[in-house]
Amino acid sequence: MSNASIVIENVTKSFSIKGNKEKVVAVEGISLSVMESEFVALLGPSGCGKSTILRLISSLETPTEGTVKINGELPKSMVSEHSLGVAFQDHALLPWLSVWDNIALPLEIANRPIDTKLVNSLVDLVGLRGFEKARPKQLSGGMRQRVSIARALILSPKVLILDEPFGALDSFTRRQMNIELQRIWSIQKITTVLVTHSVEEAVFLADRIFVLSIRPGKIIREVLVPFDRPREQSIMRSKEFHHLVDELTEALDSTEEINNFDRNISQ
Amino acid sequence: MENKNHENRIIGFIHLNWGAILILILWEYWVVVNDFNPIVMPSPWGVLLDLIKNPIIYIENTAQTFFIAVVGLFGGMSIGTTLAIITWFSPLLSGLINPTAVLLSSVPVVSLIPIIARILGYNMATEIILVVIITFFPSFVFITAGLRALPPGSQDLFTSLGASRISTLKKLALPAAFPNLAIALRLAAAHAILAAMIAEFLMGTSGLGYLFAVTKQEFLTERAFGTSVIATVISVIAFIASSHFEIFIKNRFT
Amino acid sequence: MTGIYPNKNFIFGILGIASFFIFWQIIGHFQLAGLSWPSLTDVLKFLLDPERHGLFIRATVATFRSAVMGFLVGALVGVFLASSAHLLPILRDGSDRFAAVINSVPSIALGPIFLILIDREATPAGVASIHVFFVVYVSMSSGLKSATRDHEDLFTVFGASRIKQFWRLNLPYSAPTIVSGLRLSWPAALIGAIIGEWFGASRGIGILIINAMQNFQINLLWSAVLIAAMMSLLFFGLITLLERLAYQRFR
Repeated sequence: MSNASIVIENVTKSFSIKGNKEKVVAVEGISLSVMESEFVALLGPSGCGKSTILRLISSLETPTEGTVKINGELPKSMVSEHSLGVAFQDHALLPWLSVWDNIALPLEIANRPIDTKLVNSLVDLVGLRGFEKARPKQLSGGMRQRVSIARALILSPKVLILDEPFGALDSFTRRQMNIELQRIWSIQKITTVLVTHSVEEAVFLADRIFVLSIRPGKIIREVLVPFDRPREQSIMRSKEFHHLVDELTEALDSTEEINNFDRNISQ
Repeated sequence: MENKNHENRIIGFIHLNWGAILILILWEYWVVVNDFNPIVMPSPWGVLLDLIKNPIIYIENTAQTFFIAVVGLFGGMSIGTTLAIITWFSPLLSGLINPTAVLLSSVPVVSLIPIIARILGYNMATEIILVVIITFFPSFVFITAGLRALPPGSQDLFTSLGASRISTLKKLALPAAFPNLAIALRLAAAHAILAAMIAEFLMGTSGLGYLFAVTKQEFLTERAFGTSVIATVISVIAFIASSHFEIFIKNRFT
Repeated sequence: MTGIYPNKNFIFGILGIASFFIFWQIIGHFQLAGLSWPSLTDVLKFLLDPERHGLFIRATVATFRSAVMGFLVGALVGVFLASSAHLLPILRDGSDRFAAVINSVPSIALGPIFLILIDREATPAGVASIHVFFVVYVSMSSGLKSATRDHEDLFTVFGASRIKQFWRLNLPYSAPTIVSGLRLSWPAALIGAIIGEWFGASRGIGILIINAMQNFQINLLWSAVLIAAMMSLLFFGLITLLERLAYQRFR
């Protein structure tokens, strides 16, 4: 199963808001690339446009300027080939379907035959054996996200998009889910882009991290994460880990300062 | 042990139905105190006796009204749903149809009855069409809203999965609209029965509405009241049934 | 209130309504639906004929009065019952069922009943009040329930009595829903008044309709319907404005 590489070149995305003459520039002049089987994290405060970048990659938006290409093609063709796997922050599980049916849903949409073995293996993979017939309202937040992730994997996607999938969870569950995701990911090593505002999450999961500034979003830092895979829970307590987290936190804080500085000047 | 159950049942019944019981008591009291001639105002007992002694007339006419109401309801809801789906596909049609539908809904339906009867003739088909018209609007409005009440993020999900428009309709919008369909059914069911009766009252040759009109004219007041009682009972049963259905659908689909 | 730009939807709406009127005119003009469907222009000519002004105005005023009376009485009773059921929870199930039963009695059956209870001129208001009662009762009940548990707990912890809580929390919270209910109940009041008039009132839109129907006066029939529709729409617009204000103030 091959993976895809993503190339974003000099992309700017602006929106016009109703009732507002000026356009809002979400991201400006973004260039980044994700290599095959690479796990990349986009880190930044709220409003930095990281979700916009994900939406550009998943064809939900098109760039105002610049290009977004996956394996040299437009995201739209990835979508029509059903090669994209997505997990959102609002899990978007369909409340009238069981766990099993929710996971199998992408197969139905793609008009592919329902591979029962595949669905079952994913249910096992995310640790939900025994809950196949349960409906989303009967599950905890963490369990719903697991279903969401299993669903994202069912199409054997070439690109995996995760938009703050654990944002709504408490920090304990979140840490557990990070460990789970790491384990799952190591098996298939799909090209992945994760959006998060948790520094620990990014450092634990990613190969490379991009730090984004607040609107208009620009890349202000690119950091390579040196840890080997598979990563154990214990590295979260290591000195190198803490050091990297500090460095990134500092970079994030500086975006706040830059923003305030700019604001002060213009007043 | 059995006695306790019995007691609980009776208490439960009173707890729920004290309104109707109160009305019946007041009614009986009022008739007795005023010593009304049954032609002017019958007593509850008189009405009950008439119901029991003449089941066939009641059953025949009730079946007729019920038939019209059900067929009309089914037709109205089908057309309302179909139109809602069509406008879902096309924002252009949606923009064109919606305001006109709101405009038409503000015309009091009872005033349309004579007009439509004039145009289409005084027969059962017209009565059914009238029920269709009355039940069309609530279903159109509620299902249109329901098709758009999607779980958060689900539209994006479907887009990123490369779902076709029809697929999105079948697997996302329609199931999402079911709870609203149930609400529309509850509202429309009550309207359907009433509309059938009014149509029959104004221009019919059979059915509960017609029976009411005729017996009122012939001063068979007990029977006229009997018709109303039956119609009320059917409406209440329809209301209870559709409320339960609504709760069932809500649990299954949300 | 956001600015009203002539956006796409607005234009479509106007287009849709305009095409409906054109449609009407065409069918009427070419008699496509027979004698019973006159052209829009014919109906308007009839309606606006100065000789008939008195007739239409008297009828409109009579029906309007009945509908408004029914509206006020029904709304008051609905508010009263919903509030009582809220303050005395033991009454709630029973009063819900009671309201449903009252609503299920077919309006035409209410006619003779009101004729005996009150006189024939007040019957239209009586029938209208029943219609309005149900809608207002349901809206207010659901509105009173809409204050969240957290709010109610807050009031309890501050030592507010149930009545105080009712005035300061539940009632304001239910204001938008009540106004929505009032808006929906106006067409119901109108229909109730029209039906009530069939049982012996001396004048009103309902009387015009019955007379026109029995005497084959097509233009009169359509004129009456048009008047009824206008009465509905104008009030609709007014109440929608009130509703917008209520939402802004209380939510």
